[in-house]
Amino acid sequence: MTQSFDQPTVQVQAPLLQLNGITKVLKGQGEPRTILSGVDFTVHPGQSVAILGRSGSGKSTLLSLIGLFDRADEGQYFLHGNDITKLPERRAAALRSAEFGFVFQRFFLLKHLTAAQNVAMALVNGQGWSARRKRKQQVMEALEQVGIAHLAKSKPTRLSGGEQQRVAIARALVRQPRIILADEPTGALDTETGNLVVEVLLNTTRQGCGLVLVTHDHDHARKMGRVMELRDGRFN
Amino acid sequence: MLSGKFRSALVIGGQGIRARKLRTFLSMVSLFLGVLAVVAVQAGSEIAERAMLTDVELQSGKDGTIRGYVPGEKGAPAIVESTLKGRTDAVAMISSNAIIGEPGVRPINEGGMPFEYAGQGRGYYGPTMICDSNGSCQEQKQPEKKPDGQAIEVSMVALTGDIRAFKPFRPVSGSWLDFGSAPALAPRIVLNEEAAKGLRQYRVPGEMTIEGATHHVTPQIIGVVQDGDMQPRVYMRLDELRTWMPSATETTNSNQYRGGGTSLDLFLQPGSDDLQQLLKAKLIGAGVSQEQMQFQAVKSKERMESELRIMRLIFLGMAFLVLLIGVAGILNVGLATVGERVEEFALRRAVGMSRLLLAGIVLAETLLTGLLTAALAIGAGAAGLQVALMMFGSRFPSLVGTAFPWEAGVAGVIAGLIAGVLGGLIPAIRAAQIPIATVMRA
Ligand SMILES: Nc1ncnc2c1ncn2[C@@H]1O[C@H](COP(=O)(O)OP(=O)(O)OP(=O)(O)O)[C@@H](O)[C@H]1O
Ligand SMILES: [Mg+2]
Repeated sequence: MTQSFDQPTVQVQAPLLQLNGITKVLKGQGEPRTILSGVDFTVHPGQSVAILGRSGSGKSTLLSLIGLFDRADEGQYFLHGNDITKLPERRAAALRSAEFGFVFQRFFLLKHLTAAQNVAMALVNGQGWSARRKRKQQVMEALEQVGIAHLAKSKPTRLSGGEQQRVAIARALVRQPRIILADEPTGALDTETGNLVVEVLLNTTRQGCGLVLVTHDHDHARKMGRVMELRDGRFN
Repeated sequence: MLSGKFRSALVIGGQGIRARKLRTFLSMVSLFLGVLAVVAVQAGSEIAERAMLTDVELQSGKDGTIRGYVPGEKGAPAIVESTLKGRTDAVAMISSNAIIGEPGVRPINEGGMPFEYAGQGRGYYGPTMICDSNGSCQEQKQPEKKPDGQAIEVSMVALTGDIRAFKPFRPVSGSWLDFGSAPALAPRIVLNEEAAKGLRQYRVPGEMTIEGATHHVTPQIIGVVQDGDMQPRVYMRLDELRTWMPSATETTNSNQYRGGGTSLDLFLQPGSDDLQQLLKAKLIGAGVSQEQMQFQAVKSKERMESELRIMRLIFLGMAFLVLLIGVAGILNVGLATVGERVEEFALRRAVGMSRLLLAGIVLAETLLTGLLTAALAIGAGAAGLQVALMMFGSRFPSLVGTAFPWEAGVAGVIAGLIAGVLGGLIPAIRAAQIPIATVMRA
């Protein structure tokens, strides 16, 4: 059902993001290792993409380049048609705040904060300021979107894995990003909870959000509009 | 924009401190001692300086006052008296010795020495030679021995005006001389504490004899002041003294030898050069030699500050060391906390916080801790000062009424700030350098 929604409408629009010939070389101890070599990757608004590949194939590395956690050694990166390959870090932080929502395998919730405060974290990041009431409203909307508004005041230690991951998704959604980057978000969850989380993520694409899902689960991958596989540092 | 950053920092810093109360407390303990040390040193030296300054002012006069010393011979007392009459910008103290008590007896503290030393050094030491400036000497006749009796010898200071403009005497009891009213026939005197002590201790009858005076008088004691002098002294108006001792006494060889006799001590306001010239001219005209007159400005503060500076530097150095230990404590806790919070910091940057703001927040947390600690240490210092004053204040009269010096508060806040910056800077830089990609890898 998602495929029929995605394909015809999206192709005519300008891409959300476009990566051309991205290469990432790891220069740690010893020999430099090429993790990604000449990767091309495009996401359109409302499009969902699954990235498959065996462990160590560079999926997380690619996601960290897309999310501006790290920079590529070669290639070009366009966001909404603008070249942001050599963006200074200060601007990159602003883009992470405004454009991207991140979901990880580990939920990365802060133990000393409630679910609502964890979600509000994405609002209290120095990129603009909204009044407490407005923040509260945004947080509650995000929690409702993932179906756990009733758990707003709970600390993460009192939540199940699925609930924690949904808090994390609410945190990714609260600023209404253009692209969701999810790195094995179901990796720590049972099948049923995992399915629920993937449904929640897919729902966001209905409002025109782009979704990049890194997964090992072919069932989840099949629900995405497009499936790509990384092998030896490139898509084939 | 800026306020958004600032508010974010406040919210996050507050959350961070609340989440780690014990750690915050631990890092505060060592810093507290450091800041307290700085506050104590600063307050201590500030109070010591003020106490010393008031004592010095009592003894040598306020800073900038021009003091003149003129020998009490060749009619100098009369010249000074007539020149300064009715002036407020200069006051002369004309001192001579007087005996209060039974007439015709040897006073308990012969020579007007402090009572602590009274009764010591009595006896006959052999013939005394007195030499004049030409080098010709003559043996002084031993004064006829008087019987010991209930009398004390004091330095009697006659004033041409209110000396308190130059020497800030502190009232102890009663009142001070009133220079505005017409001179009273019964002379009014104000005692210093040492003279009051002598009168009280030896139950001396209140009759007064002055060297050179023709008859005895019963003075009217109207008050006691603290004048910073060890010697027993009584103060009175010169014009009242004149009613029973019409002319100023000249210094004789014998009382000059004993350190007594009439001496003239002048206090001039800064800038009264004309008056100084006038006095000098008149005195020289009367035959007083220029070398025997001395005029010089009081520079007590300057001299005292250079003495205090070294002390203060030493103590500040020690306080600084203690403060360093406090900084090390904060730094230690701060670095450990950054290690623990790697994921939190990476996550904050992942959701869009800039490096600079993250570093700012880490720094703000320690700064907040440092300032809070400084506030506590300043409070403790001020409270400690009050307690100390309550317990020991009576023993150090110059400290009575001392308030906590604001300089110490400022020093404490600065120390807290410095400690916060030093202890927070390295953790802040560390926090900003955390690579997001590595931490957030799944
Ligand atoms: N910081 C790093 N230091 C050393 N090696 C790294 C680092 N980051 C990535 N690598 C290496 O790069 C390769 C790609 O890693 P990446 O995490 O992108 O793989 P992945 O496809 O996400 O694997 P998985 O499915 O297990 O998460 C791996 O071989 C990994 O060892
Ligand atoms: Mg991975």
